[in-house]
Amino acid sequence: MSVAAKDPRLRPPVSRRRWHSLEAREARLAWVLIAPTALIVFGLIIFPAIFSIWISFAHVTLGNLHDVFHAPFVGLEKYRRVFNDFAFKWQGFHSWGAAVTSIVYSFTATSLTLLVGLIASLLLNRPFRGRGLARAVFLIPYVAPIVSVAFVWRWILDPRPSGVLNDILLKLGAIDLPIAYLATRGLALLIVIIFEAWRYFPFAMLMILARLQAVDKTLYEAADVDGANTWHKFLHVTLPELRYVLGALFLLRLIWTFNKFDDIFLLTGGGFGTNELPVLTYQFSFKSFDFGKGAATAMILLVILVVFLLIYANTIMKGTDE
Amino acid sequence: MTAQDSAYPSRDERLNLIDRLARWITWPRFIFALAMTFFLTSILFPFYWMVSSSFKTYAEIGGREPVYIPSALRLDAYLELFDPSNPSFWNFGVNIINTIKIAVPTALIAVILSTLGAYAVARLKFGGRGMILNSILIVYLFPGILLIIPLFAMVSRIGASIGFDVQDNLVVLVFTYLAQTLPVALYMLSNYFRTIPVEIEQAGLIDGCSRISIIWRITLPLAIPALVSVAIYTFMIAWNEFLYALVFLNSRDMFTMPIKINTIYNDPTPRPHVVMAASTIMTIPVVVLFLALQRFLEEGLTAGSVKG
Repeated sequence: MSVAAKDPRLRPPVSRRRWHSLEAREARLAWVLIAPTALIVFGLIIFPAIFSIWISFAHVTLGNLHDVFHAPFVGLEKYRRVFNDFAFKWQGFHSWGAAVTSIVYSFTATSLTLLVGLIASLLLNRPFRGRGLARAVFLIPYVAPIVSVAFVWRWILDPRPSGVLNDILLKLGAIDLPIAYLATRGLALLIVIIFEAWRYFPFAMLMILARLQAVDKTLYEAADVDGANTWHKFLHVTLPELRYVLGALFLLRLIWTFNKFDDIFLLTGGGFGTNELPVLTYQFSFKSFDFGKGAATAMILLVILVVFLLIYANTIMKGTDE
Repeated sequence: MTAQDSAYPSRDERLNLIDRLARWITWPRFIFALAMTFFLTSILFPFYWMVSSSFKTYAEIGGREPVYIPSALRLDAYLELFDPSNPSFWNFGVNIINTIKIAVPTALIAVILSTLGAYAVARLKFGGRGMILNSILIVYLFPGILLIIPLFAMVSRIGASIGFDVQDNLVVLVFTYLAQTLPVALYMLSNYFRTIPVEIEQAGLIDGCSRISIIWRITLPLAIPALVSVAIYTFMIAWNEFLYALVFLNSRDMFTMPIKINTIYNDPTPRPHVVMAASTIMTIPVVVLFLALQRFLEEGLTAGSVKG
């Protein structure tokens, strides 16, 4: 019949005319309610994002920052400079450049985070005394402020004699000399990846745990009847059930890791082979004050992200639909 | 003598104990215990190290070997942070107040605005609803570092024309944090509102209540758990935020805690015990808040991103 009759929420017996006016009033009210949020998000996220495309084509320094619209247009010059920058481009295995480092770092860190999260969720999925407490403790790394945990890690990894990890490893005889973990090429990247897994596994753990507890128990009973052992049950019952969560988690964490600035900035400052695109963007903009170059770097970061998302949507997501 | 007997089991009993233990330990149990120990130590040790280091003296911090257990609860580091008569006084109290001045308004405004918006998205029909939901998804994707440059330019443009200080303006930070947190808050709340049966609100509508009074009298009281969790989340994000504060704040007296801790760490004479004391002060409220309200918050954490 009418629009009103289709909508089960709004069906008091009134005439059609008043209905329409009520509907219009509701829509107006909706816009009023959402307007403050929409304005803030548009003004401080969507508009700046579009605006930064313009900045990446312009020559903007501290001097003309307050007057960006009249900044000289330089076309693709800033992009060319970024691509030719030694901090950005690949120069062989001794110096990866920020683009390759970013990709390697975010893929390995995301995979490790998911793996640790999976193990943790399997540990917490079986009943034992003190499970609630263990679960709470497992969440702490994710909840604690990034600045605190990053500096605690730096302090634990300190190369001076008072650094505790060096002391433990020296006493165990695992190393002969103190190591500067965060100031050694290669090792620094590895430590940063381990840090990511340490800090962000609880997020993955919670998601996986929620899904694990929704798995139909009869599936395991059926597997028991078929004589499956624990490993087979994990491989053929649990993992297929977790496929969607793991896929979604991988995507979400990859995006967030790729965009992450704080962790690497605080741990290594982008030195020793850990420089990634967000930190490079910061250095170009707020250390050399070349805002155009910084914006160009950020745009390259976004393009890599979007390309990855398209590939992901067209291959992996398509695969799971079938 | 008898007390000693009971404290130390005799040889037979000890054998019995080992025997029982051997029977109790199976491979799965052993692996479980091993993994659990590994997880618990690697999670808890950094936090133990943070708190214990904050009670060490400068001599213990810079010695030839790390001090695993501080000799006494020495407050040297805390005095450096708070005591104006200390030679290297950091005036950390001001930074705590700045952080609170940013985090509390952010949380309150975010709850109010996202409640209104979420109600509209969950209950009212209007053109452009799909667009709003899509732009929420886009916010998930956007790198904060991409926004910082245009925001910096915009704010200094506005500052140049109406003449207010761009740098060191806490209001600017509150607005940027709102922009970062509102979309997720709106998403979480609208999901929660959908779980409240529509019939309750319909009863109110039939009784002649206006939408606003329905929101105020019916929906809000039912949504208190979700409101609390949104408030805590936005509070925590504003409390912890580093990048925007690093770019927008310049003078030490306006710094929030994260930026001040970064400054203390980069001091020419390394003072890890002071950094650890400041980190402890910053960490404890957040962790305590989270653990106390864990039940609410976990739901929000999972509802906010993956469904099913």
